[in-house]
Amino acid sequence: MVSALQLVLPEWLAVVAPEIWIAILIVLLGVGLGYLTIVGGRRLLERFGIDDAVEGTAVERTASEYGTSTVGLITRLAGYFVVLISLFVAGTFTDIQFASLFLRAAAVFLPQLAIALLILVIGIVIGDKVEVLVAERLRGVKLPEISVIPASARYSVLFVAVLIALGQIGVATNALIVLLGAYALAVIVFTAIATQELLASGAVGVYLLLTEPYSIGDEVAVAGQQGIVQEVDLFVTRIDTNGEEHIIPNRTVLREGIVRIQQ
Amino acid sequence: MDSVDDILSDIVADVDAVFLFSPNSSFYERFEGDATTVVVAPENTVDAATFVELPIEFTNIRDRIRFGIEGAMDDDVVAEGDTVACVGSMFNGETDTAVRVRVSEDLRSGLYDLFTNSRADPTVIRNVFEVALELGRKGQKGSPVGALFVVGDAGKVMNKSRPLSYNPFEKSHVHVGDPIVNVMLKEFSRLDGAFVISDSGKIVSAYRYLEPSAEGIDIPKGLGARHMAGGSITRDTNATAIVLSESDGLVRAFKGGELTLELDPEEY
Repeated sequence: MVSALQLVLPEWLAVVAPEIWIAILIVLLGVGLGYLTIVGGRRLLERFGIDDAVEGTAVERTASEYGTSTVGLITRLAGYFVVLISLFVAGTFTDIQFASLFLRAAAVFLPQLAIALLILVIGIVIGDKVEVLVAERLRGVKLPEISVIPASARYSVLFVAVLIALGQIGVATNALIVLLGAYALAVIVFTAIATQELLASGAVGVYLLLTEPYSIGDEVAVAGQQGIVQEVDLFVTRIDTNGEEHIIPNRTVLREGIVRIQQ
Repeated sequence: MDSVDDILSDIVADVDAVFLFSPNSSFYERFEGDATTVVVAPENTVDAATFVELPIEFTNIRDRIRFGIEGAMDDDVVAEGDTVACVGSMFNGETDTAVRVRVSEDLRSGLYDLFTNSRADPTVIRNVFEVALELGRKGQKGSPVGALFVVGDAGKVMNKSRPLSYNPFEKSHVHVGDPIVNVMLKEFSRLDGAFVISDSGKIVSAYRYLEPSAEGIDIPKGLGARHMAGGSITRDTNATAIVLSESDGLVRAFKGGELTLELDPEEY
């Protein structure tokens, strides 16, 4: 076989072993495939509207500062990964013994690292997007402290992404998961405590709106206040007494009862 | 031509503020950084620092200017004795009009208060106006129709009125501005009596017979019982009455027992 090759191929090719040539070919192929991944991936992501979806996020802004974009970042990461794989495949064809052990370990670890990185990037992008969306929702609320809510939403997403990424590369994340659980529990408990008044009033409000035991224009006495009902909404009932408007939470209305005053 | 130029420069000489009515952004930029520039428009599209929102596009330029100046007076941008130049459009959207106005308390006709200082939400009042104007334009199946809307302070209004028949809006939760409501109001306007609308825009009732004391109410001669009832209910309560006349087709607004605004639906 070797002799036949030597017959066909010119003399200078035989200077290096055929394995090296195959390895070089594989690396070249890998570079080509990597390039195709970058170009094709970009088209694919753009067709899915990823570039519009990440518009205005911090990652996109940082990326554009360095003359690239989020889509470019992700596709480039994937492209380099393809090149890296081709390098390893090429490596198995050569006889570089001293590196083989390291390479074998790396071949297992590097894909995980790449996926972890990808998850991290996606996590950051989603986190940013969530922040932007929540901030837009809350824009009508003119309160400086409100910016805490979008930021905390963003860091929550980021935290989960980091957790998944770390789990991907095999770091023990049990402690972090416990932390996440405690955090989630705290959020739920605090929200429940903070909104229990609103929830109770809202539930009563639904009842009041559906059955209308009293309606606008009726004269009623609720919680020691007597007057004419001006407005009933989900959370409060407004009662007007000689120019004073009493705003009574609906839960008080149900708990203390209503007196309708007939003329 | 010199004399025409002189007239124009006389109009804008030594003004304390310039009022721009619905300017486009390139036009506004020419005034940016100048003395006091007030933009009066339905929407603040040019990000002006001092801005008066027009709730409806008054076709009557006097109403528009009056509304803008009242709004600026309310925001303490201009004060009594100031002279302002108003630049706007009278005909087809191009800047074609410059008016010199001396600000005085006499200009206050309650037009600005009608929208911004009423009990009801400004958007609710605007929506009711739109319904009334549309009703006036189209009528009920081609024939002119009259309607009476009492907006705001619904509790007191309900207390000072009584039902003529069953209330079609009982236990319904519709608000003016909801898409279906215009059709509903149009159908129900066939019925006699007034519509009562709450501060937040909820339609509380139709078919209401208003029972305010009409003593001392002065409305223009020739207007009938509907206007009289609308005018007098606004004196007894903090409500605003918006009346569509069946005979002359005009939309009139009453507040505090006085006629504050008169609009012709055909112009909108």
